[in-house]
Amino acid sequence: MGDLTRLVLKRLGYGLLTLLVVSILIFFAVELLPGDVAEAVLGQGATPETVQAMRDQLGLDRPAVIRYLEWLGGAVTGDFGVSAVSGDPVMRVIGARFVNTLFLAAYAAVIAVPFAIFLGVLVALLRNSVFDRVANVMTLTSISSPEFFLGYILILYLAVKLPLFPAIASLSGDMSFGDLLHRAFLPALTLVLVVTAHMMRMTRAAIINLLASPYIEMARLKGVKPWRVIVKHALPNAWAPIINVVALNLAYLITGVVLVEVVFVYPGIGQALVDAVAKRDFPVVQAASLIFAATFILLNLAADVGAILTNPRLRHPK
Amino acid sequence: MSAFVFGYYAFLILASVILAYVEWRKWFMMVFSLTLISFVLGIVGGTPALRAVATFAIVLAVAAMVSYAFKEFLIQLAKPNLAKELRTAPLTAAFGMFVIFTYAIAGIFAPVIAPHGEAEVIAGAFAAPDANMLLGADQLGRDIFSRIIYGARNSVGLALVATLGAFILGALAGLLAAVKGGWFDTFMGRVADVIMSIPSLIFALLMLSILGTATWVIVFVVAIIYSPRVFRLTRAVAGNIVVMDYIEAAKLRGEGDWYLIRREILPNSMAPLIAEFGLEFCFVFLLIAGLSFLGLGLQPPTADWGSMVRENATLISFGDVTPLIPAAAIALLTVSVNFVVDWMLYRSSGLKEQ
Repeated sequence: MGDLTRLVLKRLGYGLLTLLVVSILIFFAVELLPGDVAEAVLGQGATPETVQAMRDQLGLDRPAVIRYLEWLGGAVTGDFGVSAVSGDPVMRVIGARFVNTLFLAAYAAVIAVPFAIFLGVLVALLRNSVFDRVANVMTLTSISSPEFFLGYILILYLAVKLPLFPAIASLSGDMSFGDLLHRAFLPALTLVLVVTAHMMRMTRAAIINLLASPYIEMARLKGVKPWRVIVKHALPNAWAPIINVVALNLAYLITGVVLVEVVFVYPGIGQALVDAVAKRDFPVVQAASLIFAATFILLNLAADVGAILTNPRLRHPK
Repeated sequence: MSAFVFGYYAFLILASVILAYVEWRKWFMMVFSLTLISFVLGIVGGTPALRAVATFAIVLAVAAMVSYAFKEFLIQLAKPNLAKELRTAPLTAAFGMFVIFTYAIAGIFAPVIAPHGEAEVIAGAFAAPDANMLLGADQLGRDIFSRIIYGARNSVGLALVATLGAFILGALAGLLAAVKGGWFDTFMGRVADVIMSIPSLIFALLMLSILGTATWVIVFVVAIIYSPRVFRLTRAVAGNIVVMDYIEAAKLRGEGDWYLIRREILPNSMAPLIAEFGLEFCFVFLLIAGLSFLGLGLQPPTADWGSMVRENATLISFGDVTPLIPAAAIALLTVSVNFVVDWMLYRSSGLKEQ
């Protein structure tokens, strides 16, 4: 077990290092601005006094490296400084929204993951049948459509023509859980459609790859019943690719969520990011980007660690 | 029972009887199951449901026929070698090629095809469609149909240029890394890892909010974001080629790195790279569409599919499908490119799934 822990720790350390480099990238990208943040936020009409006041407020007169270290130190403890536009702490702007986004992503994942894996395995078992062909064309179409296309189609048919669900997913604190689920249904469904398609294709490929291996052939040739081949022989080895597929697609959810939140005016962190970009509110942009990147890296890390844990072969690199 | 329903069932039953008689079992099973499903569907959904099924089937049939005709057309035009390859293409790939061809024509001849200019205000805001404006007017009174045609030139053109940029960057870095090896190889691999560990849309939003949305900035940022994918593929493909004997021979002859890349490695790694170009184009196209939907793409008054959807989205709450047409145009092109790439990958890998 010793070298397994070491392998996982090594992978974790590598992920942490990546995150550090990414945070450097996010912070210093803003330094590329012509002038500085204060000038960019206030625009050309600002007087030198107001620009200077904002510089003081954001502490822009100190060297960038020191500001980066302070920013990173704050970020670790959940303090991302203050918004350049409203002057509120960034955490107050995006904290609650981040929870909303996690709720939406979890909602979509709970529906999509079992559904996609079931369909993916089914399609792999029925490969080259009519059902498989139809599923192939449909998933390809779903992957190829921009998220906003799927979102607006759902709005058109499930909110406007048949008023079953609200088109605008505004949430408030005093809603019951059922209300919340009802309100967030369309954005969640949009994400489900996109993610299911990706996940189904990847699951199908993984299972087909597995079913082609010699030991499955062997089991079949010695007369093991088909369901037993699947459950006893294929499934234990299928967990690794499936866990990988799930984690990768959850990471994909994180990006898809931005466009979906904008379409449905869902009060999540993606919407906050887009608003901040429009207002050139750089502290908020940086914080939201870092949170997205961290989640993304974390899920990719989970995929790797999951693969190491479920596949003993990866523990002994040649 | 209306004449439509009567005709619908008569056609299905007649078709299944004929198919059964000529023993096309697979088609018979499909048509007859559709008949049975229609009984249920007709009872639950009534005539509109049957009408929807019929419309869908007709669209599908027309698409299939057009693809078949286009495939035969290409076979007639192509040289014997290529024609043989084309004969093996499935209908979906032919459909993809047909759509790409149509978009190319629309993009190249946009000013000739479009009845109005892309920024020309000709009517009131959201004016209804008439003989002059096929799809009505947008929020400023510009002809939506003309803007969609121009969008084929602007949106697809931008995505093509950005993909080309990503390709040149990624492939060059990948080939150099494979030839040089050592610390350069490791360093480029790490850079690619870092870029790929930031979600692409987030990275693009961050960079564009800082650098502005001039067209060359969009091309540059998108090219950087997607070059690591090309880098990895090129590195992997070239890595297998560098160890070949003929590369060793060329090195012993005293050829330089550039010669090796150009004359020895590149010609041998073309097939996977071309397929990757198609896939990469889909990713880039969807990213740019997303960005312009968020208002960070081509700036107005340039016609662009992503921003057109956003600008006219209010129409959707009145049950109007017009704003969805540019979005559908994006989806259709991406699907088509995917169809063609699927076929190319299948052909080049020689993989026949059991």
